[in-house]
Amino acid sequence: MTLLILAAVALGAGIATVLFGAERRRLALAIGLIGSLVVLALALVMPDTDSLIVGGVGMVSTPVVRAMAVAWSASLAVLGLLEIAVGGRPTVVGPSLIGLAVAGLALATRDPASSMAALAAGGVAGVLVPGIAGWLDAPNMPSRLPTTNRGTLAILGSGLLGLGVIAWGASAAGPLGAGGGPVAVEPGAQLSLSLALLVIVAAVAIRTGLIPLHVWAARFMEGVSPLAIPAAFAWGSAAFVLVALDWSQVALGPAAAGDAERWLIILLAMTSVVLGGLAAMVHDDVEHVLGYSILADAGVAVLAFASLDPGVVAAARNWLVASATVKTALAAWASVVRTTYGGHRLDDLGGWARHSPALGIAFAGILVAAIGLPNMALFQARTDLVSSAMPGIGPVVALVIAAMPAIYLGRIAIAGLAPVSPAVAAGMPGRPRWRGGRAAGWSGGPVTQAIRAVPGELRANRAPLMALGVVALAVMALLTATGGAGG
Amino acid sequence: MNLALVAIVLAIGGGAVLAVSTRNDAASAIGIAITLVGSALLSDPLPSAAVLGVRVVAALLVATMIRSAMRTGPRQPSPAGWPSEALLATAGAVAGLGLAVGLASVAAAGGLPVGLPGVGEPSPGGAVGAGGGTVTSMALITAAGASLLALGAAPLVHGRPGPRRAIGLVLVTQAVLLLRIGIAGPAVELEEIAREGLLVVAGATGAALAIAAASSIPGRDDAEPAGT
Repeated sequence: MTLLILAAVALGAGIATVLFGAERRRLALAIGLIGSLVVLALALVMPDTDSLIVGGVGMVSTPVVRAMAVAWSASLAVLGLLEIAVGGRPTVVGPSLIGLAVAGLALATRDPASSMAALAAGGVAGVLVPGIAGWLDAPNMPSRLPTTNRGTLAILGSGLLGLGVIAWGASAAGPLGAGGGPVAVEPGAQLSLSLALLVIVAAVAIRTGLIPLHVWAARFMEGVSPLAIPAAFAWGSAAFVLVALDWSQVALGPAAAGDAERWLIILLAMTSVVLGGLAAMVHDDVEHVLGYSILADAGVAVLAFASLDPGVVAAARNWLVASATVKTALAAWASVVRTTYGGHRLDDLGGWARHSPALGIAFAGILVAAIGLPNMALFQARTDLVSSAMPGIGPVVALVIAAMPAIYLGRIAIAGLAPVSPAVAAGMPGRPRWRGGRAAGWSGGPVTQAIRAVPGELRANRAPLMALGVVALAVMALLTATGGAGG
Repeated sequence: MNLALVAIVLAIGGGAVLAVSTRNDAASAIGIAITLVGSALLSDPLPSAAVLGVRVVAALLVATMIRSAMRTGPRQPSPAGWPSEALLATAGAVAGLGLAVGLASVAAAGGLPVGLPGVGEPSPGGAVGAGGGTVTSMALITAAGASLLALGAAPLVHGRPGPRRAIGLVLVTQAVLLLRIGIAGPAVELEEIAREGLLVVAGATGAALAIAAASSIPGRDDAEPAGT
């Protein structure tokens, strides 16, 4: 029941935020922030196991649903505050709340077709709203509208493809037969199962923007606020992959992945992992680093389809929730750096960590969470996913994959420790400071003076306060990377 | 064979042909409304009043959004003309019937009762397994879905952004939703809500993108040159 209330609040607040966003920014942001705080409170009190029947379908609140709701809503509350501080059109909280509502319902419901339809419908706002805002903000870049168009088609198309394969699987003459579970392995049935698996993986590839289907995703990420990226890619994709994985595991079973299919899936996933990781290493633009690292993370998750083993699916749950939290923190860091220093290329960001120690501490936390330590859930999940797909060499490959964030985030960290560049020096002050002055034109008592001084102090310390928000997200990333999603 | 269902399938196809081929904005909106409302009614037996209400409201909402997008966007009639579109719709319907017959044959060959809904699907009022009537209804729904898919695919993936692409998006979405029922049986109530939500989102997305595209296009693409 708590989940239903959470979804209703999130959906209502999200739609209201999107509708008011165009004309009344402050009202929209207030609704979004209050809504995200209420949703966070509901997620915290939501029981681990709760079930009810809605519309003829059982809805079960599992630890994974709760972990995702808590992590996403907590991140969202901080992103809402950062969106207020960063300024611009409100494109983050509204779509994220809608995405959170449908993701919670989709993961809880026991009917995969309902889940897929809901995810397709709820995921569009995460691309459409920031995409159109990015296009409106850049009149000299008309290509952003076609990119948004392709993005919405990818979200809807992947959902429709998923619906199609789920329907095929549920049909009387489909690969599942009518017995309520996977059919006996015979050549024809095996072919059907394998095809169904490949189609659902194709839907996942389209939704997550895996290489070589990444062009729209890469261009989309260039044209929107970094704060909007987690809802569209990290969290939205995570929910989609989880639903697809659950369906594949229950409906198709491990027998669906024959040798040829397994290698095809591994090839697709590793292409994104390797090329995405390399692209993140060579790019100087921190927003490109963010985008390609999200694609690489999605590639790791897709490896779960290569075996569909229950243990691996549990690892995928941990990986998806933890990596989404880490990338949310990285997106917030990128957005705050851009707002504070006006640049997003490493050449312009020399000495950013020296200039803003709080941002440096937050980035150190993000770095540790992204790489993981051997006893962390994220590290173990990555090792399990890679090892299950590639027995024998898996642990070594997992270590190589773990080294990738060390390199591409390490480059950013090294730039932060370099001498302070002129661009960074000209940015907003990164250290907290107390103005200590009286509010202009006011002559009340000391308490009144102090209250009147708050807005001025907030404005003067905007950059350190934003950095504090990133620190909070980095702590969340570390906690989720350590504890996982209860998968 | 249920003649009412056949008539609805014909109306769905006719409305879709009108929507993609006419130069008249209002006629196009009426066509899409006929198609979507017809799709809402394409069920044997009819669903509960609540589900039917959700379906019809969603259909009319989508038609309204598409109509609003047309007010600002360029006219984009089918370059192939309505006879070609009608033939395409017919071909799609025949392919859908073939698909339905093929599925039924495979099910029968496997010893399964013909017309059985999908695994995990509820039995719709005991009509399941009733024999040929159910199969015909499923086959007609599949035919309508395949017909809409054939009509909507080209406007969706090919051509300039605008109302035509929005119509294509709605038609393809409706097509997949019909095919889902046609091959896997009736949806439960929760899925009905999710399906209609998806249809409304598809319509809203298409309309929003069409309006945005119209604001970046200086004139209507079918405007007559000055002085003629």
